[in-house]
Parts: sequence; C-alpha cells; structure tokens
Amino acid sequence: MLAQTAGATPEIAWSSFAPELLVAGVALALLLFTVARDNRIPATVIVGLLGLALGAWLLSQELWIPGGTVVGLSALATSMTIGFEGRHDLSNVWIAGLAALGALLLTGWQWVEVLDPQLQAVSQGLSGGLATQLQGSVAHDGIAFFTRITVYVTVLLVLPVGYGYLRDREIYRPEVEPLVLLAATGMALLGAAGDLIVVFIAVEMLSFALYVLVGLARRDRRSQEAALKYFVTGAVASALLVYGMALLYAATGTVDIAAIGQALGLVTTPDRVAVLGVALVIVGFAFKVALVPFHLWTPDVYQGAPTSVTAFMSAATKAAGFAAVLRLFLLGFGRLEDVWVPALAVIAALTMMIGAIAAVVQRDVKRILAYSSLAHAGYAAIGVAAGSAAGLSATLWYLLTYAVTTVASFGAVVAIERRRRGEVSLVDLKGLGRTSPALAALFSLSLLSLAGIPPTAGFQGKLAVFTAGVESDLTWLVVIGVVSSVIAAFFYLRLMAMMFLEEAEEGAPEPVVSTGLSAGLAAASAAIVVLGVIPATFLTLAEQAAVLAR
Amino acid sequence: MGILTLVLVLPLVGAVAITLLDPQDTRSIRVGALVASLATFVASLVVLARFDTTVGGFQLQEQMAWIPTVDASYHVGVDGISLVLLLLTTFLTPIVLIGDWDRADRVKGYVTSFLVLEAAVIGVFLSMDLLLFYVWWEVMLVPMYLIIGIWGGDNRRYAAVKFFLYTLLGGLLMLVAVLYVFSQTGSFSYQAAVEHGFGVTEQLWLFGALLVAFAVKVPIFPVHTWLPDAHTEAPTGGSVILAGVLLKMGAFGFLRYSLPIMPDATQQYALGTGEGFFSVPWLLILAVVGILYGAVVALVQKDIKRLVAYSSVSHMGFVVLGVFALNVTATSAGVVQMINHGLSTGALFLLVGFIYERRHTRQIAAFGGLAKQTPIYAGLFLVVALSSLALPGLNGFTGEFPILLGTFQVARWAGVLGAFGAVLAALYLLWAYQRMFHGPLEGADNENTSDLRWREIGVMVPLVVAIVAIGIYPKPLYDIVEPAVQTVLEQVGVGQVEAADADGIRGTSPTTVTSQE
Repeated sequence: MLAQTAGATPEIAWSSFAPELLVAGVALALLLFTVARDNRIPATVIVGLLGLALGAWLLSQELWIPGGTVVGLSALATSMTIGFEGRHDLSNVWIAGLAALGALLLTGWQWVEVLDPQLQAVSQGLSGGLATQLQGSVAHDGIAFFTRITVYVTVLLVLPVGYGYLRDREIYRPEVEPLVLLAATGMALLGAAGDLIVVFIAVEMLSFALYVLVGLARRDRRSQEAALKYFVTGAVASALLVYGMALLYAATGTVDIAAIGQALGLVTTPDRVAVLGVALVIVGFAFKVALVPFHLWTPDVYQGAPTSVTAFMSAATKAAGFAAVLRLFLLGFGRLEDVWVPALAVIAALTMMIGAIAAVVQRDVKRILAYSSLAHAGYAAIGVAAGSAAGLSATLWYLLTYAVTTVASFGAVVAIERRRRGEVSLVDLKGLGRTSPALAALFSLSLLSLAGIPPTAGFQGKLAVFTAGVESDLTWLVVIGVVSSVIAAFFYLRLMAMMFLEEAEEGAPEPVVSTGLSAGLAAASAAIVVLGVIPATFLTLAEQAAVLAR
Repeated sequence: MGILTLVLVLPLVGAVAITLLDPQDTRSIRVGALVASLATFVASLVVLARFDTTVGGFQLQEQMAWIPTVDASYHVGVDGISLVLLLLTTFLTPIVLIGDWDRADRVKGYVTSFLVLEAAVIGVFLSMDLLLFYVWWEVMLVPMYLIIGIWGGDNRRYAAVKFFLYTLLGGLLMLVAVLYVFSQTGSFSYQAAVEHGFGVTEQLWLFGALLVAFAVKVPIFPVHTWLPDAHTEAPTGGSVILAGVLLKMGAFGFLRYSLPIMPDATQQYALGTGEGFFSVPWLLILAVVGILYGAVVALVQKDIKRLVAYSSVSHMGFVVLGVFALNVTATSAGVVQMINHGLSTGALFLLVGFIYERRHTRQIAAFGGLAKQTPIYAGLFLVVALSSLALPGLNGFTGEFPILLGTFQVARWAGVLGAFGAVLAALYLLWAYQRMFHGPLEGADNENTSDLRWREIGVMVPLVVAIVAIGIYPKPLYDIVEPAVQTVLEQVGVGQVEAADADGIRGTSPTTVTSQE
C-alpha cells in the first residue's frame, strides 16, 4: 500500500477533520497566550492576524463557512483578549467557548456539504457506502459527525459551568481550557477513527488531557487519589487495548477497521487470535467507558475530580468511547457477532444492575451520580448489543440525551458545592426546594431525565435503546434495563425528596449561582426539555448516522 | 386547534401562567387555578355536546406527526368510555381546588401540581397513540408524588415513594409491552395495534405485562398495598383525585388496550378459557377476593380515612369484575361504576378532610354524637355513605347491581360472592356512621365541633346533585358508554354473544372490528 502512494503527493482532505483542527489550533493558541504572560496582547494580535490570513485564504477558495468561522474566531479572540485586559481567565473561557461553537458550526457544514450528498447517493444506489479519508484513517460518516455534536455541545455547556467553580475552589489554571479542548479533540477524533492506529492515538490524547484535569485540585487529596487511580487503570486499559489491536493485526494483516471486517468475513471459523483480540478490545473499552466489571475506578474518580471535570468526563468520554465501540464492533467485528453480542449483553446487564443497586447505598451526591452514570453506560450498551442500524442510531442518540442531562445534574451539584467548599452529601440538599426553588427545580428536571420519566430527553433516549433492544430479540436485556430503571428511580427520588420534602437546616449555606453557571444550567435544562418534547430533528440525524463509512 | 387539544392544553396553560405569579399572592394563585380548571370543565362540556352518542368508536380525532422516525404521533380522540372519564376529571378538579381553598402552605406549588396532574390524566384518557399514552401515564407520577410527598401527613415520604415505585415498575413493564407491539407493527398507532392480530402466546405475555401496570393502578389484590398508605398520607385534594380519577386509569387501560389488542388473552385471563394455568378465571377470582378482602379490612379500621381507602379497594373490585365479566351489561356497568365510585368516594374523602381540619384526628373512636352538633355534615355524610354502599335510588346502585347481574350470567359464583361485598359495605359504612354521629355527644371536642361552612357546603352540592341524578336516571350515562363498550366487546369477540355459556365464548375467534369509522 505504501509503495503505491509513495510517489504521489497525498491528497489530504482537511475538511474531514476541520472541527478538530480548529479546536486543537485554539487550544495551542491559548497555551501560547499563557506562556506569553506580559506579552499576551502582542502574541494574540500576531496569532489573530495569522488566523485572519488563513480565513481569508479559505474564503478565496470559496469555502465560505470554514473561512468565515476562522475569520470570525480570530477577530473575536483578538478583540476579547484586548477587551478583557487583565482578566485573562475570562477571555480564555470565552475563546474556548467560541472555539467549541465554531467546531459545531463546522460540523454542521460537514454534515450538509459532505454527508448529505453521499447519503443521497447511497439511498439512490449510486454508491455502496460512505467515503473515508486519508486511506481509511478518518471516517466521514454519521457516527463521526454525531459524536462531534455531542462532544462539542458538552464542551460548550461545561465551560461556563466550570468557570466560576474552579476559581472559587482556587484550583483554576490557565491550562484548563486548552486541556478541555485537547480532550475534546481526542474524543471527536475517536468518533471518526477509521483505523486502529487512529483509535489508539485518539484514546491516548483524550486520556492524557483528562488525567491532568482530574488532578487539578493539587491540595485536595481526593483529587490526587482520583488522578492516580484514573491514570493507573487508564494505562492498564490502554495496554490491553493496544495488545488486542496487535492481535487483530496479526489475525487479519490490516489495521483498517473496514478491512478487518472483510478479512474476518472471509474465514468460516473465527480465528482464535482474532477472538482474543476482540475480547481484549472489549475489555479495554469497558475500562474507558466504565462497564462492569471494569468500573471500579469510576466512583472514586468521579467523586474526587473537580465537579465540572466530572461532568465533562461522564458526558463526553462516554460519547466518544461508545462511538469507537460502535464502529469497531458493527463494522470491524460484525462477523464475530456470536462472540461479542452475548458477552456485551451480559456486561450491559451487570452494569445496569450493579450501577443502580450500588447507588442506592451511597450518601455522597457525586458518588450517587457516578454510579448512576454506570447504569447509563449499561443502557447505552443495549443499543450496541442490538447490533443493528437502529441500535447504532439509538446509542448515538442516547449519548446525546445523556450528555445534556448529566451536565445539568452535575451543574446543579456545582452550585451547591461552591458554597460548601467540600463534599456534597444527601443531607446538604435538605430544603433546597424552599431556599432556592429555581435551582432545585432544574436539578429535579435533570434527575427526572436521568430516571427516564417523560417528557424529558432521558426518556427519549431510553425509549430508543429499549426499542432497538426489543427489535433485536434482546427483550430479556430490556426487562433488566426496566428493573434497573425502577431501582435507579428510587435514589433519584430520594434526592428530590431531600430537596422538596425536607425542611432546610438552620444556617445551611445558600448555593452560589453565577452568570456562567446559570447560563450553562439553563441551556442544558432547555435542551433536556426540547429533546424530550420535540426530538424529531435530532432523531432523524441519528438515523442518518446509521449509514457507516467503509 | 381542535376541542380535545384545547381541553388538554388549558390546565397546562393555567399551570404555566400561575408559575409566573408572586408566591405570596395566594388569592390570585387560587383564583387563577380555579379559572383554568373551570375553563377546562366548560371545554369538556363542549366535547360532550359535540359527541354523537348514536355510534360507537372514536370521535373528534386530531392527529399530528410527533416522532416520525418511529411513527409516533400526537393522536387524540374520544369514545364513550373516555368521554365520561374526561368529564369526571374536569368536574372533580375545580371541586378539589375549592375544597382545599384555605390551604396556606406553598399554595403555588400545590395548585400547579393539580393542574399538571389534570392535564396528564386527560392525556391518558384521550391518547390514541401507545407512546403518547405512556408518556402521559408517567407524567402523571411526578405531580402526584409531589402532592403526597410535600403536602401529605406524617408518614408522607414513605407513602409517596411507595406510590411512585409501584406505578413506575408497572409503567416500565408496560413500556416493554408497548415496544414489543411497536417491533411487530412498526408503529405506535393504537389502530395498527388493534388490527395487527397477535398470536395467542404473544397475547398472553403482552397481557401479563400490561396487567401489572394496570392492576397496580386499579388496584387489584394483591398489588393494592400502596393505596391505603397513599390515601392516608395524601392531603384531602390528593386523596379525592387519587380515588376519583387516578384509580380509573387502570380500569380504563384494560378497556382501551388490553381487551381490544389482546382478545384471546383477555378471555383466558378473565374467564379461564385456556389450558392449564389459564383454565382458571384468575381475574374474576382476584376481583372477588379484592371485593371481599377490601370490605373485611375496611370493617376493622380505626381511622376513617383508611376505612374509605380500603372501601376503594372493594369498590374497584366491582369495577374489575364488571370489566372482565365481558358482557355488555356488566362491562357497561363497570364503566358507570367508575364514575359512581369517583363521585361518592371523592365526596367521602372531602368530608373526611373537613372533619380532620376541625379536629386534627381521624380516629373513629374520637368522634361521637356529631349528628346533634353538626346536622348538615351528618346529613351529607349519610347521603354519600348510602350512595357508596349502593342504596337503590342513589348512584352506587345503578353501577353495582348491573355488574352483579351481568357477572351472574357468566360466572354464577362470582356474582354471588360479589354480592356479599355489597352487604359488607353496608356494614362497615353504617357502623362507622353510627359510631361517629349517633349516641351521646360526649367530650369538649365533640361539643365544640362546628358545622360546615358555606364554601364547604357549596363544594358538596354539585357532588350530591350528581349522586342523586345518576341514581334516579342513569340512562344518559349508559347511552354514552354502551356503544363504546359494545365496540370493545366485539373486538374481544364476545360482543353479540349473550355470554351465558362459556362454550360459546371458547368457540369464537376474535373478530377485529375497525372502530375508526
């Protein structure tokens, strides 16, 4: 393969990962600004001018939307740095938010310009599948685009929620926003990864950024413990993953996921090496997205990490991890369905039950939400185990609904934690319904959505995965999901009961709600309601996403 | 926007409008809620006026795409059964709001919860799409949970969580059944589900899943245990709506979904026409057990509210008996009995609430000789109690008697045993009445108990008028209900059979009838 292409200049389809280029570029620029210290403004002006030049060049190529995005972002970033002079942290968070917004814009542009014509070609039978770029390394399909949407929407919601919180705890560092953006780049890339090498690089990229973010609170032992645990288990998971990939390469002679699928399809009896490879890949990703029995790090890490980081991890990492799982399993290991579908179904069942049951006995709100996120990983896994197109789009859709919901719930925890300056236990929620009714109402909305009560986003998500499960004859798994939902509803209700049915304790500190936090929380809550009541638009997108790139 | 959507949206609009009001301005909040609920009632009267009672099937339908990817739509319509239940709901809600007029604690949340609850219940009755139905079913949970949990009695937290989890478990099993129906028909449309024609084994499983959901709600023995707790702990308004309307959702679910979609399973579960396990008429047995068990337990209650709660278990047993006797007489009467139970038990809970406000106790032993001190209260209590125990001339009789009559034709033993429930009802209600109102007026508390105020009398008047009117002339009610019941029973395949012999039922294959036209 190398010999064929060595002579010609490789045609690099920049457009296929344009949002990641933008986000990573801004992350690097922000790091540069931080390093520049007193020369921040000249540095910004130089970078801004370079950005303007790039944008102008793009516009001259008639790439209106990317060009416009780059021009707008450069201009806004420069003027913001000058405008917020002396308040670098504020300009940092704004620039990072704008970058996420720009990335969303570019994703929309990709969808319309690249995906839609291809989908039409597929549906008219003109083309067998969607294109990949860079010789199969980067897929150009719905999984990639939908994951991008989920990841960047999460970034957009998490940044304002975390802004005041990290400063209150005095653990803010200028590297926070660049690290979030770099992690997001890795996540989006993972969703688009078309071969094992890119999968691995993306996994490592997002993991490294998250290791640092988890340990952000340097003087907080729990944060340090969480970071170390996350790092060690993450490293083990990566090792297993890469070993599994090596075995798959040994069995098939290729790292391209679609080609692996074809190679495995040729043999009648699956190769033992390949099966072992698949098993190791399952284990590796089960660590990353926290499926039982590879979940033990989750509660500690989610509890110890700064809350806004926890929100980001639980929402976006899951989305990215599951995107890769979907592509690997449906496209790469489709032939070995008999091996991994039962395994994954059992893992999903265990995850749902253990997540729900373990959460019942927790007292710490972040730990409760951590275990609940376990259960939710199990629900998402139903969609994967369904192994169908419906299951695929259901999983993607589920992860979007879960992302907005979980950001809203952790956002509410942030508001309570900010004044308490410590852990938030069940008792701290007492009487919140009276002292700050709006916050309690929004928190309850997100809890109802986690419990899957209509008309919230969480209900629509559960509906989709359960439907896919029933259609694929996994009714038993769906019934376990139902039982787990009832158990889970018990502790969501207990949180609500604390807020509304108990009286506030004397001298209980009032939660702090800042502008950024209320904006993020309100936006997430609005998303919960909108996705819950009129889901049609995004469901259609998720359905389109089910056509895979080969 | 059609009239049905208007009925559905009005309470929600009211709820949203009230959230914008100042929490301290309780008067505006109360008036606003009352106006919204009265407007809803008027709108439902318009539905009644436009409803054509000469034909069965669904009328005034409205349909709009909702989630096109799974063919779920916003589809509403009424038949005779849902119409009378709709009227009951919109009739009781303003009464509850006036009945709790003096409540001072967190009024805004209280009335908002009731308006949302009303909308959800109306949504359940009007939906013609399985998913839409499920959505409203679950939405109902949240306001009711809050009503019990925030404004309830001392043990409210336990009762609220129990209520929520029981219903949620049933609801989620229903979701699995709904998803299975969807996977077979490719649509959430009610019509498609009815016309699909499921195999007998499929039907038995689906019926079982829905049975859990609906039986919890009715409640059918032995999954009734949440009800006494919820009733005892709920505030008066909550109890009235719970008994008056929410319990009806279960029986309604049977009639709307279980019977038409799973006709074979219905006959096997209800009449025992199947093999082995299904050769026993389980639902008739459970209904009779519920009737007798509820009555006996009511007999020994010391708390008057718990007594009324257990009487609900008994009375709803009659409804279940009527529905699953599967002949026009009994099933129509079952629907009518739902209305009767809503009116008389609702009225009883209001009356219990009135005395509780005065005395802060519900122990029957604490009362005595009140007939002399509070004659108006005693008189109203007597009328309502008599209606509840099915005295001829009052509404209870017009429901329970035809139920027993119809059941007797199908299963003689069930009719005979059920009749004992009516006897026991007379016993526990009149005995309680005797202990509370007759005898000497002793103790300072009893001597200082004040009689009903004008507002409280005003609340009771419409209920008593309805109780007497239905008792004397139930025909208009039956005229609305019967064509719809006829249609449902035709779908089960027993419509034309005067279900005297079980062989006749066993032989008929389900004939699916389109009720759209």
